[in-house]
Amino acid sequence: MNQTIVSYLSKYEFYKTLLDLFGGNESLLAFVIYLIAALVVILVCATIGGFGTYAERKISADLQARMGPNRVGPYGLLQVLADGIKMITKEDIMPFAADKFLFYLAPLLALVGVFATLAVVPWSSGFALTDLNVGVFYLIAISSLVGLGIFLGGYASNSKWSMLGGMRGASQIISYEIPVTLSVLAIVLMAGGMSFGTIVGQQKGLPFNWYLFHNPFTFIGFFVYFTGALAETNRAPFDLPEAESELVSGYHTEYTGMRFGFFALAEYIEIFVVCGVAAALFLGGSNLPININIDILPLQFVEIIIFITKTLLLYYVVIWIRWTLPRLRVDQLMSICWKYLTPIAIFNLVGCAIWMVAFNGRSLADLIIGH
Amino acid sequence: MISLASYLVISLILFVAGITVMVARKNLVAILLGVELVLNAAALNFVAYSRYLANNLDGHIFSLFIIVIAASEAAVGLAIVIRFFQIKDTIHVDEATQLRN
Amino acid sequence: MFVQILFGLSALLTISCVIGVVATRNIMHSCVFLLGTLLGVAGLYATLGADFVAVTQIMVYVGGVVILMLFAVMLTGGKDFVSKAQNLLGLAPTMGNKWTYSLAGLVALVFVLTNVKLLSNIITDAGPKTFGNEMPSTVSQLGHLLVKDHVLAFELSSVLLLGALVGAAIIARPKKKQ
Repeated sequence: MNQTIVSYLSKYEFYKTLLDLFGGNESLLAFVIYLIAALVVILVCATIGGFGTYAERKISADLQARMGPNRVGPYGLLQVLADGIKMITKEDIMPFAADKFLFYLAPLLALVGVFATLAVVPWSSGFALTDLNVGVFYLIAISSLVGLGIFLGGYASNSKWSMLGGMRGASQIISYEIPVTLSVLAIVLMAGGMSFGTIVGQQKGLPFNWYLFHNPFTFIGFFVYFTGALAETNRAPFDLPEAESELVSGYHTEYTGMRFGFFALAEYIEIFVVCGVAAALFLGGSNLPININIDILPLQFVEIIIFITKTLLLYYVVIWIRWTLPRLRVDQLMSICWKYLTPIAIFNLVGCAIWMVAFNGRSLADLIIGH
Repeated sequence: MISLASYLVISLILFVAGITVMVARKNLVAILLGVELVLNAAALNFVAYSRYLANNLDGHIFSLFIIVIAASEAAVGLAIVIRFFQIKDTIHVDEATQLRN
Repeated sequence: MFVQILFGLSALLTISCVIGVVATRNIMHSCVFLLGTLLGVAGLYATLGADFVAVTQIMVYVGGVVILMLFAVMLTGGKDFVSKAQNLLGLAPTMGNKWTYSLAGLVALVFVLTNVKLLSNIITDAGPKTFGNEMPSTVSQLGHLLVKDHVLAFELSSVLLLGALVGAAIIARPKKKQ
């Protein structure tokens, strides 16, 4: 059985007192713990999604030598609240000839696709909601639902811009899944398992043990993964499906109010999840820099803070890239994927396999220091 | 405990629905949809039997290959549909009456 | 107990979406209901302990086949497709009427009941043989099987996929203007 948050907490004393509180009913206690943990994770990620918009405005302002929002609260922090209230109170318009069922379904698909991936994100070594044996594979598979949501949103709006934006968005997402999956596969090859617990557990210790520095192929693989993930989340410089100057906001042109909020929230949380996965796979996410072998609860909270710090650093890099690089045309986008990233990712995979056989799986730092 | 019979009933319903869609629809893409349903029913059967009646994972291997082959067959089938549309300008099955052009 | 709840939810999702696939006239809605069906079947695989097959199902079908069908519908004008059928279930009049379908249904029912009676010993005695009641991960075992016992099928399927990829790309190319 794979480790879940319940099986991790059952090693502690307060679990037994809670069990007596519930009258010895283990399933009910497990359900309640999962419910509370899932609510906490969803609330935290929704908050991060909301503050992502604020962070984007502030960081872009900093890059463009101006001040961002600074009127609404101290340093403009309550701007998120103001934006949220504005979004909720907007009128819910549906175009006359739109396909009602698909119009309602598309934002839900996008949001479900993103929230379902939060179940396997490794916040710390004990606190992943569930540590599926096929965790990494599951995450990539469920993220394809977002592409479907974008396509259906573009189609259902029954407007030419939305249709174009939807088709471009869907083809972009399914194309870039391939280099992303191949670079993740190289890491799975080296770790020997698809679960996040296995992969993060192999990167314990000093930063030399991270998979980023393990061999030159994974170093390239990190950049391939990062670029592919930027394209998968429709993020600049790959944001043609939702570009303001090209397609009047693309596939979410006809969506107003909270439905648009669903699409936007799905995008920001997906960026967070993708950065989290990059931190866990390549940057040794949630591992302490020193190899302590004690297992106490406060250490888990330190690990959560380390993981979130690494993820937010990558988030900052994502926002930085958006406001620095110009947008790519759709044919340039496709040719980057199929002519450059996919061959590099395949070469990467083969290179990692050869390294594993030739050097018996030892990392570069291991070979140089030589023990 | 879930019995084997429940999985067989569900795969039976999927199979019958797939056959109904294949027989009763006039849209070429809808017929391919029915084929996907039939293949899924068979794969579910394989995995259920592998768990309940066999001591190994052969049913899982079979299901993996069914998924792979169904995907490639859907791709080629849809390419043929697109070609058909380029020639005949419709995807109504009744138009597919001639062997050459 | 979680397994039973998951089984109930997945079975409910599968069967309601399958009824949706059969009963809707709009082809786009049928594709979306197919998506729901395939997600339900993936949940059923999960209750059988087939974790790798479940995730492969989601990845290949949801991320691949359904999007492919939607694109094919868009490129062939299928959303404006109107069936000119007149009677029950939207069938053309030459495809049979309610009497033939009832007869066929009766025959199918008799056939199924006979088969169930013949196999009833096997079905009722069947307890989970593989791994007993637990569900360990199947990934490493499947990996070993794929490269040891079934390596021929594995290699042949990769050649098949290559052929399908190249073939589909060539067949769907627009006609050259002479």
